[in-house]
Amino acid sequence: MKLGRKRAEKLEFGIFTLPILISVIAVFYYPFVMTIRYSLTKWNGISKHPKFVGLDNFKQIFLGDTNFTHATWFTVKYAILYIVLVNVLAILLALVLDMKLKSTTWLRAAFFIPYILSLVIVGFIWKFIFMQGFESLGVSTGWSIFGLSWLGKPGLAFISVLLVSIWQSIGFYLVIYIAGLQSVPDDLKEAATVDGAGPFRRFFSVTLPLLAPSITISVFMALTNSIKVFDVILSLTGGGPGGTTYSVAYDIYRDTFQNNLYGYGTAKALILFVAVLIITIIQLTIFKRREVEA
Amino acid sequence: MSKKKTGRIVLEVVMILLSLVFLYPLFLTIINSFKTFKEVMTDVIALPHSFTFENYTYVWKFINYPRLFLNNTIVTVLGLVGIILISSIAAYKLARTKSRTSLVIYFLCIMPMLIPFQSIMLTVMQMAKSLNLSDSTWGLGILYWGFGAPLALFIYHGFVKGIPKEIDESATIDGASGFRLFFSVIFPLLKSVTTTIVIIDVMWIWNDFLLPLLMVNGSPSTKTLTLAAYTFVGQYTSDWQYAMTAMVMAVLPSIIVFIFLQKYIVKGVVAGAVKG
Repeated sequence: MKLGRKRAEKLEFGIFTLPILISVIAVFYYPFVMTIRYSLTKWNGISKHPKFVGLDNFKQIFLGDTNFTHATWFTVKYAILYIVLVNVLAILLALVLDMKLKSTTWLRAAFFIPYILSLVIVGFIWKFIFMQGFESLGVSTGWSIFGLSWLGKPGLAFISVLLVSIWQSIGFYLVIYIAGLQSVPDDLKEAATVDGAGPFRRFFSVTLPLLAPSITISVFMALTNSIKVFDVILSLTGGGPGGTTYSVAYDIYRDTFQNNLYGYGTAKALILFVAVLIITIIQLTIFKRREVEA
Repeated sequence: MSKKKTGRIVLEVVMILLSLVFLYPLFLTIINSFKTFKEVMTDVIALPHSFTFENYTYVWKFINYPRLFLNNTIVTVLGLVGIILISSIAAYKLARTKSRTSLVIYFLCIMPMLIPFQSIMLTVMQMAKSLNLSDSTWGLGILYWGFGAPLALFIYHGFVKGIPKEIDESATIDGASGFRLFFSVIFPLLKSVTTTIVIIDVMWIWNDFLLPLLMVNGSPSTKTLTLAAYTFVGQYTSDWQYAMTAMVMAVLPSIIVFIFLQKYIVKGVVAGAVKG
């Protein structure tokens, strides 16, 4: 009787957890193991048998792949600037929206709207604005800023990609910071005012420290999203001009699906995975340490 | 005091102006979708001479909009229902069972959150082909189960731990067990987290691009909305009026839903970020 119950419990455990296990193994673990396997081969995707080449792909990537080096630099520069700018701007906006203006509801919705749109579409919309819209705006305002070649010059194209990404996602960070600010008790701010602290002092010594959990979350999200940046570049610049706006993810896509270098592309994909893993572990360690302090 | 009041009004006006500038690209997209080719070329910022839906009827037919909309709905609903079912039921069992196996399975299922999709995209594509899941709207929906499950499991698991065990016990005394206990007693208690997961997953699956591009790009009948808009714009690079129409048609459903469910969406996104 007792043995039967135990068996029934085990059976139920299996039935409840097997579906998720199968799904996760099918789309993550099995493909991941195959990625490791292919990264050691030379393969064009057509021949039946990939040719085993050992670590040659990795050697080639680290020693002589200028595309990959460029893409890495692009991604690092992009990630740093994106993380800093999107968070600073979102905190500033959140501070204003936390002042309980009459239009707060509208403002929050307005800044959030781009976030619900698909990134590929956002890229196309801005391509249209940069290419066609700016021309008309330049004519009607006479401002030279609209006359610049925002997608045609390497430096400017980088800024365009950055701006469009920030435009699309700032609403997300904004609502996280608004939620964070609402959890800062008003009497704490008042106490600081009574003590004679000006608005800047109040912000840096009262509000900002209490925003720390929101900042951690936002930086974490901004980092994970920015090292994988792909969609918006694909539709906005297509990697151009002159291949200067390829990100690592886009470079992998190019090698695998456009150049048919399946083995080589998966080797790069594996390097991306290791990079993401290391960054995440570092972040989680910092995150844990701060939690202990708080 | 009155100086402070003027300051507030100025700030209010500045912010409203800023938000209008912020949304101006979307406004330009909408007005240009109503123009003729010549109008777009002569002046982008001018309003259209007349509001005709010619561009819309053309694009609607050309990309077979109803079909795309149906495809998107199938993929999103199928993906979502699967993610919620397999994750909630597993989260419940794993949180209630205190054993090594349970812990190992839990970590095995949440660890893939660390694997970037681009690292495995090629082999996912092959796996889908060998399971006959590629080139099919339904297959794409099923693939989302695995991709969405880790985060959903993580969020559910944290929540189930807060539900007192006495609830299970009293239900067992009343004769409920297994699936019945879960679906009639536990699942309703998970409502608030389920809402969060629905919101973040619908936004993700509805707008997703790379997975559909790799899976269902082969035939016009299996494409999703974003994917079709992407290919359409690729073909019509100079016909901006059609491109803008396709953009508007692709994003309109999201914007309409957002207008009605704004409060819940913002709440769900914040909750998802804080818990995840």
